[in-house]
Amino acid sequence: MAAGSAAGPSRAHSMVGHLRAALVFLALMLLLTGVAYPGVVTGIAEVVDPGAAGGSLLYYNGTLVGSSLIAQNLSRPYLFWERPSLSDYSFLNGTPAPPGPSDPALRALINETVQYMQKYGNYTITAPLSLWLVSPSGSALDPDLVPEAVLVQIPRVAAATNLTVGFLTDFVNNHIAHPELPFVGVAYVNVLELDLALLPLIGR
Amino acid sequence: MLAVQSLWDILFLLALVIAVAPFFGAYLGRVYLDRPAFGDVLLNPMESAVYRLLGTSPRRSMRAKEYMFAVLLVNAAVFAFLYLFFFFQNALPLDATLAPGMRWDLAFHSAASFTTNTDFTHFTNETQLSLGSLIIAWPLALFVSAATGLSVAAATIRGFVRKDGTLGNFYVDLVRTITRVLLPISLLAALLLVLLGVPETFKNYVVAYPITGGTQPIFLGPVASFQSISWLGTNGGGFYSANAASPLANPSAGSDLLGAFLMLLIPFSTPFAFGQIVRRRPEAWPLMGTILVVFAVAMGLFVAYQAAVNPALVGLPGLAPQTSGYPVGQETRFSLPEASLFQVASVYSNTGANNMQIGAISPVGQLVLLFGMFTQSTPGGDGTGFGMLLLFAVLGIFVGGLMVGRSPEYLGKKITTGHIRWAALALLAHPALILVPFVVAVAGGFASTTSGSVPTSAHTFTSILYEFTSEAANNGSALSSGSFNDTTPFFNVAGGVIMLVGRFVPIWAMLAVGGMFSEEEILPPGPGTLRTASATFTVYLTLFLIIISVLLFLPVIALGPLAQIVGGP
Repeated sequence: MAAGSAAGPSRAHSMVGHLRAALVFLALMLLLTGVAYPGVVTGIAEVVDPGAAGGSLLYYNGTLVGSSLIAQNLSRPYLFWERPSLSDYSFLNGTPAPPGPSDPALRALINETVQYMQKYGNYTITAPLSLWLVSPSGSALDPDLVPEAVLVQIPRVAAATNLTVGFLTDFVNNHIAHPELPFVGVAYVNVLELDLALLPLIGR
Repeated sequence: MLAVQSLWDILFLLALVIAVAPFFGAYLGRVYLDRPAFGDVLLNPMESAVYRLLGTSPRRSMRAKEYMFAVLLVNAAVFAFLYLFFFFQNALPLDATLAPGMRWDLAFHSAASFTTNTDFTHFTNETQLSLGSLIIAWPLALFVSAATGLSVAAATIRGFVRKDGTLGNFYVDLVRTITRVLLPISLLAALLLVLLGVPETFKNYVVAYPITGGTQPIFLGPVASFQSISWLGTNGGGFYSANAASPLANPSAGSDLLGAFLMLLIPFSTPFAFGQIVRRRPEAWPLMGTILVVFAVAMGLFVAYQAAVNPALVGLPGLAPQTSGYPVGQETRFSLPEASLFQVASVYSNTGANNMQIGAISPVGQLVLLFGMFTQSTPGGDGTGFGMLLLFAVLGIFVGGLMVGRSPEYLGKKITTGHIRWAALALLAHPALILVPFVVAVAGGFASTTSGSVPTSAHTFTSILYEFTSEAANNGSALSSGSFNDTTPFFNVAGGVIMLVGRFVPIWAMLAVGGMFSEEEILPPGPGTLRTASATFTVYLTLFLIIISVLLFLPVIALGPLAQIVGGP
């Protein structure tokens, strides 16, 4: 770059001038984007919606049991189960990818999950399972299920608790989250919240 | 079967962003013309103070070479800062996750990735990135890389209306992009994201005690402020390794739609900023039309194939027939069209955020995504996507002019072999950056899989092709995880070089073409002038772009996605 010796409004910056501009810019941006921006957003967020800002945490009998946005392993006969997780429901295991659509490993994986869910110890589910219930999710931490994938688990939960199929059907139907606006989103059940509501009913 | 009602919200969102684009584009135009605009009272004094600190002034307009030098210098400073931060992250503040310092090749890949607006990651955020790297170092690049792209586009466009050989002042463009575009919108969007359920806290994790026993650490942080600039800036990096599929980063259909809006807002508005800066608003429509046609076809194909049944799972004992879309690798809370809109918007805007596992979707869906990265310009990333489209237009006008015997000129500026040389360089660099490393990786045995050193399945071919395409297009979406190991020094170094060359060679070409236009007089339109603000030119440009992109990549897509579509493993 030519040295900025030429007079006039459009003279070029000198090499030192460029270096100074780049470094000062970097320092200013560091303060702005690393400190001021997240600081301001966090300050406002914690006033406007502290629950969401804090991670939508769920407590049961005073204990932090999880986040309503994060699935956990609920594989007990008396609970409704989440979708299977390739990361074993842990942030520490990253986000493993499911097999490709035509990979034979996919059919094997789904088949294994179906067998496991249909015959768990002494508990059997005879109705066919929704693919949602037995397939890995995008995040490996999806806490939600489509209603039919929850309803199909009722025979197992009924057999493992003293609750009737009729009662559990109403119970699940009452916990379906419907879209807040018509045509936005889908109807689904947050399985962790459902099980937390179930626990007092079965004395746990 | 897909219910028609489920398409209404995505059609509404697309209509909204297309309706906003002309107005927001006009605003962008005013920002880069340095015209009086909303916010002047507050921002003008602050910006003047910043210019004094930087030692520059809006009156010091740069020629193409000086502008390019400033682009390289600022980005080199960001790159060096990121590299050192990642390499020494365990010794720097906010090392809460106890992540070790990155190995040299991973630090190189990551620094190159964030500097170039790619945000392709070869690491797991939760275990390999310190809190300081995640909330101090990376967001800096989210802002600067997006601002660099927009500044370069503005400078290139100015070449059409100037005659003094200059393109503007890069430092001034950078500052104004941040104060008037990126910062206010991402601040507002971050607050909306919190209302839609995204965490925003300085607590980095909490330990929960799940109801079936054990412990579950839940990672938190300033997620909303990270995701909003990541999407608005078409960066695509995720606070979590699950990216936009993570229920914390993208907790509802509302946040998903907002994300799609943010990713499309600037790329869809830039053609209108172009119309404003060159003072011929109708000239925006052929470019916008090309973008919309390609985007709409891609969306339609993607949704249709997402709704299709996977034949590989049909007839599995104990499994109900697949009715409500194909759930493998998908999240429950989004409807099929909502998930698809986000994913196509993300890849076509070269954002590269994933709200699904794209390695699990149909091969046609994967091909649709690949095509968006082949064109890089429908609409492409903030600024650079539009710059690529302008280079396509310049090349198209030149070729078209030769065919019909019109003099090749665009907006009164003559197109010469000099312009064509630069445009061709940028357009040919893209396939070269994908195909050469692809051959080296496959033939050289670098893409070792569990079944051997040379991949044999079409899916693995697609994964390797996708990896290099994503890096060359500065996209950042990944399809690879699992089918081959991309965390080796080979893939880190090759990927880093591909991203840097794939970013700065096209930027150089854009500025060079803009600089040459800026040296020329503006010719009055004559009888031999090709009218570019016309439906004919829109159709011609669309076909030109599609044909060039298909011809460049047909042989290699036959090896991967096409082989999968016809039934390969």
